[in-house]
Parts: sequence; C-alpha cells; structure tokens
Amino acid sequence: MSNTILTRNNVKVFGRGTQPMLFAHGFGCDQHMWRYITPAFEDDYQIVLFDYVGAGKSDISAYDADRYSSLGGFAQDVLDICRALDLRDVIFVGHSVSSMVGVLAANAEPDRFANLIMIGPSPRYINDAPDYVGGFERSDIEGLLETMEKNYIGWANFLAPAIMKNPDRPELSAELETSFCSTDPVIARRFAEATFFADNRADLASVRVPSLIMQCSEDMIAPLSVGEYLQDALPGSTLRVMRATGHCPHMSHPDETIALMREYLREPRLSERADGIAEAQSR
Amino acid sequence: MESPKRNPVDAEHRRPVVTSTARAIDSLLDDAPCGFVAFADDGTLRVVNRTLAAMLGFAPDELAGRHVESILAVGSRIFYQTHVFPMLRLHGRVDEIFLLLRGKHGEDVAALANAVRRERDGEWVSDVVLMRIVERRKFEDALLEARRTAEAATAAAEQSRLETEDANDLLERQALELELSQEQLREQAVELEHQRAIAESANRAKSAFLAMMSHELRTPLNAIGGYVQLLEMGVHGPVTDAQAEALGRVLRSQRHLLNLINDLLNLARIESGRVEFKLGTVAVDDVVQAALPMIEPQLTARKLSCEAHVPRELTVFGDREKIEQILLNLLSNASKFTPPGGAVRVSARAASERPGRVQLSVTDTGVGIAPDKLEKVFEPFTQLDATYSTRKEGTGLGLSISRELARGMSGDLTAMSVPGVGSTFTLELPAA
Repeated sequence: MSNTILTRNNVKVFGRGTQPMLFAHGFGCDQHMWRYITPAFEDDYQIVLFDYVGAGKSDISAYDADRYSSLGGFAQDVLDICRALDLRDVIFVGHSVSSMVGVLAANAEPDRFANLIMIGPSPRYINDAPDYVGGFERSDIEGLLETMEKNYIGWANFLAPAIMKNPDRPELSAELETSFCSTDPVIARRFAEATFFADNRADLASVRVPSLIMQCSEDMIAPLSVGEYLQDALPGSTLRVMRATGHCPHMSHPDETIALMREYLREPRLSERADGIAEAQSR
Repeated sequence: MESPKRNPVDAEHRRPVVTSTARAIDSLLDDAPCGFVAFADDGTLRVVNRTLAAMLGFAPDELAGRHVESILAVGSRIFYQTHVFPMLRLHGRVDEIFLLLRGKHGEDVAALANAVRRERDGEWVSDVVLMRIVERRKFEDALLEARRTAEAATAAAEQSRLETEDANDLLERQALELELSQEQLREQAVELEHQRAIAESANRAKSAFLAMMSHELRTPLNAIGGYVQLLEMGVHGPVTDAQAEALGRVLRSQRHLLNLINDLLNLARIESGRVEFKLGTVAVDDVVQAALPMIEPQLTARKLSCEAHVPRELTVFGDREKIEQILLNLLSNASKFTPPGGAVRVSARAASERPGRVQLSVTDTGVGIAPDKLEKVFEPFTQLDATYSTRKEGTGLGLSISRELARGMSGDLTAMSVPGVGSTFTLELPAA
C-alpha cells in the first residue's frame, strides 16, 4: 500500500535530518519548482517531494475526477503520503493553492504537523463583495481557462519541450527531459477550477498548527489584502511580507525565501505560538 | 535578433542606448513584422519594439518600464504566473504559447509567443517574440467549438448507450422477475389444487358423516316411534291410562328428536350447498292456499284467527316447495308465539320501493321481539327469552333454515317487530 502511494505520487525522499519537511507544489507545476529551496534544508531536515496525482510524473491511471475536483482530494494525497512514510512533526511547505491543501490536511490530522509554511496563499481567489477582495472576478478565471485550452492545442510542444541548455542551473537540465506541467488538458482544467473556484475561508479558524504566511509585495494572484485577511483569520499565524514580487518567490527570490523560512523555524517560538493560538482562540 | 555588441541597459531610462553601428539592427528590430519584448526577471519591460507598441495601440516609447503583466489580459496574467514564469525559470524557454494581450484601451489582442530567458549585459532577461493571430485564432476557435460539439455528442451518445443498457438490464430483470412470479403462480396453482383436493375430501367426509347421521340416528328413532305406536294400539296387551299418557310423552319426545335431527341435517345440507333448488315461476297465492290448511288445526287449537290477502296474479321466481316450507315455518312460529285470541295475517305485494321484488309477509299479534334481538332470531338454536319452562315446541332452527333457503333463491327473510304489539316476518323473492 505505502509503495503504491509513493509511486502514485512520485514521492522523493532525501536529506540528512530527521524532521520531515514536506513540499507541496502549486497549480501549473510539479515538484521541480522546489529545486532552489531544498538544497538549503537538506542538511537539517528530511526532504519529501511529491507530485499530485495528475501532475508531473505521478501515476495518471490513479487519477479520479471526483476526488480531484475539490481541494479535499489533494489534501488526501498529502495525508496518504504522510501515512505511507509514517511522517510525524511535519513541516508542511505549500505554494499557492497548496497552502490551503495544507490547511485541510492539518485540520484532518492536526497532530501530524508541526508547522505550515505558506508561500503566496489565498483562501479564496474570487472577490466576495463587499468585504472580501480576492483579486479576481469569475470572468477572469474563465479567461484563464480559455488561455489554458488554447495552449493545449499545441500542448505537446508546450508541455514536453526539448531539453534546452539551462544557463541558470545547467546541471538540472537532464531531469527536465520529462514533462514539467500536467500533460492532460482535462486534468489541468479541473485542477484550475478546484483551485480558483475554491473558498476555504471557513476552514481557517479551526487550524491548530502554527503557520508562516509568506506574502510577496506585488503578487497579482494573492494581493496584500489576502495576506492580511489570512493573518487575522488563521490562529497562530505569522505574516511576513517579502521584498520579492510576483507569485513564485521560491523560484524568483530563493535566497529571501530560504532566509525567512530559516528565521521562522529557528525562532524560540514555541511559547510565543502557544500564546498566539490561545489569544486567537480567546478572541 | 540579438546583437553581440549591445550596450548595457540603462537602468535610469530603461531604454537601450543605441550606438550608430547598432542603429540599423535596432531599426530592423523595431520594425520587424512581429512584436518583440524583453523583460527582466521582476517583470519590468526593458525593450518593446514599435511593432508591438503599435499592435497594442501605444506610442513607441510608452511601454518601457511597465510590468509585463500590464500588457496581458487577466486570464493570461494568471497563466503567465502559474505556467510561463515557472517554465522560463526552470526550462529557460517556452514555445508557441497562446496569450491574450491587453491593448491600451483594454481590448484583447490574441498572440502566439516564443520566449527565451538568458543573461545579457549582466542581467537575466526574457526575450519574447509575439505574433498576432487573427485568422488562425478564428480557425482554432472553430476547431475547439467543433471538438466541444463532438465531445458533447459523444457524451450524449455514451449517455444514451448507458441508458439503453440500463433499460435492457431493467427489462432483463423484469423478465426474470416475471419468470419467477410465473413460477410462483404455478406453485400457487399446485398448492390451490392441493387445498381444493383436501377440501373436497373433507366435503366427502362431511357428506359421509351426514349420511351416517341420517341412517344411524333416524333408524332407531323410527323403531322407537313404531314400537310405541304398537304399544298404544294394545298390540302387546291392554294399556292403562297412565301407561297411555307415558307412551304419548315418549312419542312426542321421539318426534321432537326426529324433527331436530331432520332440521340439523337440512341446515347442514344448505350450508354445505348441497340443497338443490328447483327454480321456476311460482304463483304466491297457490303456495299460501296450500299452506293454510296445513296450519289451520294448530291455529284453531290456539284460538287464533287467520286471514290472507294475496293478489292472484303475483308470481315469484323460486322453488315452490322451499317457499311453502318457509311459509309453514313462519305460520307455525306465529301460532306458537301469539296468545290465544290473537290474529295471524298473510299478505303479499310487489315491493314498489324495490323493483323486481315480491314480499310475502306473516304478521302476528304476539309478544313481539325487542329491536336489538331481531337478528338473533335467525341464529341457530335461538328461542328468545326461553327459560326451559317457557320454551315453545321446536328446535330453534326453523328461522335459520328458512333464511338460508330464502337466500338460496336470491331472496331474503327479515323481521320487524314492536314488543307487545306483534311481529312481521317478510320473505322477499325475485319477481317472476
């Protein structure tokens, strides 16, 4: 069973530490997106990478349209992996939509997780007038779906690019021989819908795992107001606004990302967090 | 496109400073028949050629320094952040990406993009070539629409195939159920046949019992009656008055017992449907005129007057003997339960309120029957208010038998009474 899960989700485990650091990729990518971050933590943690079913080199035959039409199915992937590897005291690092996947997983099994580190999180992408600004209207998301559909006309070219010399990190080019993004247009569309039509605001208050919110200063996908909303709604959360812009600081600004994660994890924070949670609960 | 002698980017003006030797190449780049844009990793536009600016409705210098997202429609911005940017970072290039650009006035401009990310002049930039697509886009839209239509049709066909399969499954199940219920019906028929055989066998046993009763009980009773009569006649020597009186009692008891047995056998026969009715047209007056003389001695003995009002032409459809038996029973009852000096009246009429029916009634001026007891008189072995001492002669089966006989002829026997005034028993039969 555990082997099945590890194959299904293309799970990779490495590193010399004992505490597991589980990295969950966001919509549009796979585990390769963490390549600039993981080297910094290999010495001190056990690094666990994976692809959601339907992404990267996961087992597409395990794809279940019902299961992955909402984020609960993705959270189940995370919990499946935790059980298969018997992970405890997990530091969960999620990019974008995976931040909310982490919230759902932590609510299901709070004792398994030590921290949630959220990079560019948003509990809801679509505006909910008058009080909530997610940054998008429904028609914007439909525009995304249309753009995706158009690109899947030439998807073979787009998704399985020839190996290019990568001047940035040439040593990693070889592993890019495989496809990078989800290769199935139907799966990709459903992931997009599950992501951008989700509303996880109601799941935030019950989170009992301390969290770090890493918010880029100019992120059109998760505007600053969303980060502030999250800090208010998530008990025991710490908001750090980054100098980095864009939506992928772990790719565009890995050094700042690593520094903030280290700082957060090294803080003598346990008592502070407990206070934070107690305070949040008493409000 | 790339000039090896390009000067470093001037961050202040965010425009290339162009030397005279590069001017011709830059001019070529500016007016090339495709859009060109170079932007830094943080999204800041470094170079925008004139073709692209014109494509989007901007003046040639207007776009430099803006963010690349500002020339993308919102959906494409998300796609850029979730797909294109990671691809450029991790793969170094993207090919044939469809993007919706946003013009100066918010208009959508569809374009196809190729991009390469590379280090130039000490900075990482992404060079993007953008080809406007209009006719191709229409064609692709039509293709997509056709594909959607085909997929919908396939889905509909699959759906209807599944529905057909479901319907077939249902039919098969129903056929199976039908077979099963046919099997059950067959089993039930066999069981019914079995039950019928048992019932018939029971009926035969009952007939045999009745025949036995008839023979075994009546034979000794008849012998008793015969020998008592011989004794009364003095065949075996003179009979004293006391002996004669005793013999009379034995004889009356013998007759009573014989009547009782006969009545019981009659009732049993009627109830088991073993009585045959010889149905035909019967003139009511004929029956009345035949019955009255038979009851007359009894009426006279009890000092009762009797009159009959029966229209001559009145006829019923029934069994003449049975009707006479019923009438005699009613007259006998009337005489028994009416005090001396009373009157018994026989009448008949076509029931106007019940077309097609004829009513033959016997009315007396007797003790009458309480309303709540009226139905009880038709139950077997009933004589109302009958303590042993007041008990009238009879078996208590007469009215039961009479009603069963009436119903056997599609008629009925009912009673009306006012206590202290008298009773009326009415035999209703179909008119002939």
